[in-house]
Amino acid sequence: MPGPTQTQDVRSEDGSAGFPEFGDSIDQTTFEQILEMDDDEEEREFSKSIVYDFFTQAESTFQKMDANLEKKDLAQLSSLGHFLKGSSATLGLTKVKDSCEKLQHFGARKDETGTKEEPDDEKSLRNCKVTIEQAKTEFKEVEQALRRFYRDDSS
Amino acid sequence: MQDQDGPNALPSLSTLSLSDNDKRENHGQRAASTGLSDRIFANTPVPTVILDQTLTIRHVSKSYYALSSRTPEELIGENIYGFVEQKVPVPDVATVRGAIETAIATGNVQTIHDIPTPDGSFYSMRTTPIVEDGELLYIIFEIENTTQEHMRQTELREQLSINETFRILVETVKDYAIFMLDPGGHVSTWNAGAQNIKQYTREDIVGKHFSNFYGDEDRAADKPGKELVVALRDGKCEDEGWRYRKDGTKFWANVVITPVYRNDILIGFSKVTRDLTERRAAETRLISAYEESDKLKSEFLANMSHEIRTPMHGMLTALTLLIDTGLNAEQKELSSIISDSGRVLLQLINDVLDYSKLASGSFSVGSGVVCIPDIIVSVTRHFQTTTKAATRLETSLDPRIPQTLEGDALRYRQIVQNLIANAVKFTESGVVTVTLTLDEESGDSLTLLTEVSDTGIGVPQRAVGTLFTPFTQFDNSATKRYGGTGLGLSICKTLAELMGGQIGFRPNDGGEGGSVFWFTVKLRPVRRVDSVEKLSSLQAEGAYTAQPTDPLAEVKRIATGKRLLLAEDNQINSRVMLRTLKSLGFVSVDPAMDGMQALSMVKQESISIKPYDLVLMDINMPLIDGVTCTVEIRKAGIDVPIVAMTANALKGQAEAYLAKGMDDYITKPVDRGLLVKVLARWLRNKSMLDVGTKGG
Repeated sequence: MPGPTQTQDVRSEDGSAGFPEFGDSIDQTTFEQILEMDDDEEEREFSKSIVYDFFTQAESTFQKMDANLEKKDLAQLSSLGHFLKGSSATLGLTKVKDSCEKLQHFGARKDETGTKEEPDDEKSLRNCKVTIEQAKTEFKEVEQALRRFYRDDSS
Repeated sequence: MQDQDGPNALPSLSTLSLSDNDKRENHGQRAASTGLSDRIFANTPVPTVILDQTLTIRHVSKSYYALSSRTPEELIGENIYGFVEQKVPVPDVATVRGAIETAIATGNVQTIHDIPTPDGSFYSMRTTPIVEDGELLYIIFEIENTTQEHMRQTELREQLSINETFRILVETVKDYAIFMLDPGGHVSTWNAGAQNIKQYTREDIVGKHFSNFYGDEDRAADKPGKELVVALRDGKCEDEGWRYRKDGTKFWANVVITPVYRNDILIGFSKVTRDLTERRAAETRLISAYEESDKLKSEFLANMSHEIRTPMHGMLTALTLLIDTGLNAEQKELSSIISDSGRVLLQLINDVLDYSKLASGSFSVGSGVVCIPDIIVSVTRHFQTTTKAATRLETSLDPRIPQTLEGDALRYRQIVQNLIANAVKFTESGVVTVTLTLDEESGDSLTLLTEVSDTGIGVPQRAVGTLFTPFTQFDNSATKRYGGTGLGLSICKTLAELMGGQIGFRPNDGGEGGSVFWFTVKLRPVRRVDSVEKLSSLQAEGAYTAQPTDPLAEVKRIATGKRLLLAEDNQINSRVMLRTLKSLGFVSVDPAMDGMQALSMVKQESISIKPYDLVLMDINMPLIDGVTCTVEIRKAGIDVPIVAMTANALKGQAEAYLAKGMDDYITKPVDRGLLVKVLARWLRNKSMLDVGTKGG
């Protein structure tokens, strides 16, 4: 249903879902490229290891984000946002990527789109906090979907 | 005259008169003089009466009879006073008497001017005493119609009075500088207003050229002289601009110069100058106040939409999660309504945000390296999945369009996406075609024409005029049926214009109905970097003519033996890139986890037998970033091709990277197809250059 409306929100790459179970959380084209790297379509060894590495990376990054939120270190938050944005973008995890990008901007004392300065550090921190929570939620969502995809029942 | 005519004239009067006096005063000279004085006095056109010293009427001219409508019998021999005021235009008896007595007493001619008559004519009455040896002989009493003369005099007096009034008016006006220039442009008159506004006194300025009032720049451009020419040509020259006072201060002046002619001969120019400094300042204040309030409004809109967007995202996210918790059918239906409405609302907010940004002018079009055909392909691929089953989505791309151009990929994409979305939305069946053609190519810019045609419901004629107006949709029922914000096309219009182009609509005359929306954008060709120029010159020499058509096959072929360095701090990205490169045939790729490491590796290997053939460089890395690393590599004199990989490649950043010594760039997440093209471009060049060097 989330088909194209009159203008696309081009600020976030609206990935259309080729894998119905992923909803619009994952950009099909990008994720397909990762899957194509698998030697065996049954085992999916490479993509699975990458994806699971990402889970680990995301968890540890979220921990660092929380720590830096505690320390009110906006610059570090921005940097962490950028970091996680890179890997989530590579895997096509659109929603997480978008939130990380927002975090990058908020941490840089800017608005969500990175176009306008935000003079109030407290507000920037609040923005960061909300965005981290959002990113975590989105991550959980996509993690579940991916674990299902790899038929992992351990979650 | 009196001395001669008197004695001769007087006797002749007796011939006309019947009085005794006449006979008595005759001395026998009658025959000699008869005729001349007779005829003169009888026929003078001036109504004349001649009196003797007793004021008895002795002689009357024909003209007097005519004027008074009397016969000789009634007049000759009568006393003058008995006739005044009777049909003869003279003042009252007392005045006549006074005139006659004064004439007798002084011996001088007495004239009473401008005696009005009831019919509007004017007369003068002249009393001339004829005196001989101190003795009064006769009095000549003449009445003359002076109406014409009187009118002329009156007119003259009035004119003089008007001129005087005008002169006083002009001289005393304080708010306007009004003065005359001679034909050469030298000041010839000066008024109080001129002194007031320009500070020069009459003595200061009269005789000086009027260019003294202009600034240096205007004088250098001979503006004063040109204004006189224009005034002569057009009959008037009006100008607003800065003029200078005696003390060098300037004021904003409105100036009107008019040529003045007398009898078709140019006698000079009138110049009227008003000081509009205050008015101009007031206007400027008004305009800036208006602009400020308009800007505030747009900023408010932008901020509001922006603020609304964040909670909207939160709501929609939560809603998605809610739907996944296992709802019953009714709950599912209701929550999907919330979801749909939320998305429409979010779209509306995004549109308003864009629109208000556009309106406030805070929307900028960035400049980066774009591949327009790729954008079209990518956008159409995106829509393939949502296009209705009975509709085909096709593209037609002009092969003349270069793969890389300078422009704003995001904004171009936004327009294309919008137009295709509309076309797909309004087309139930048939075909949607995206056509990209090179419209025009000039030295430093290319105009690309993008057309999206469909076989959908089309646009009714009456709605064509408002298609690109904000918040309008051509049909209410269509709104209900198709949804949308009514802002999309107006945003597209502004975006196209920001990119130096236009947007338009025409009906699709392909036979099946539908619409064609088209737009143009102006893009610049990408500046070529040195090695590409070297390559071009090689090609020109005919060293290489074969251009492989399949980049993937080409890359796989040239990958053999190539060494790459991959500088990427994110392990995941690094692994994916390594895997991708391996699949393309690059077996020798060294990863570097930060900029410092990358720099030392490039330096170290540059002196080895087999240095790196290409570096893929992330921008944001710990220790030193990709840009600094590149600068250092170039400083060390190493000219390995460096390709930037970044997620921030918008709004001119790509150019900045190229300026810092990078050769190309690729956006993250890295698209495999794009990566292949970039690698092919640079490694192919390298192969050719190697061969070229060996060969030449």
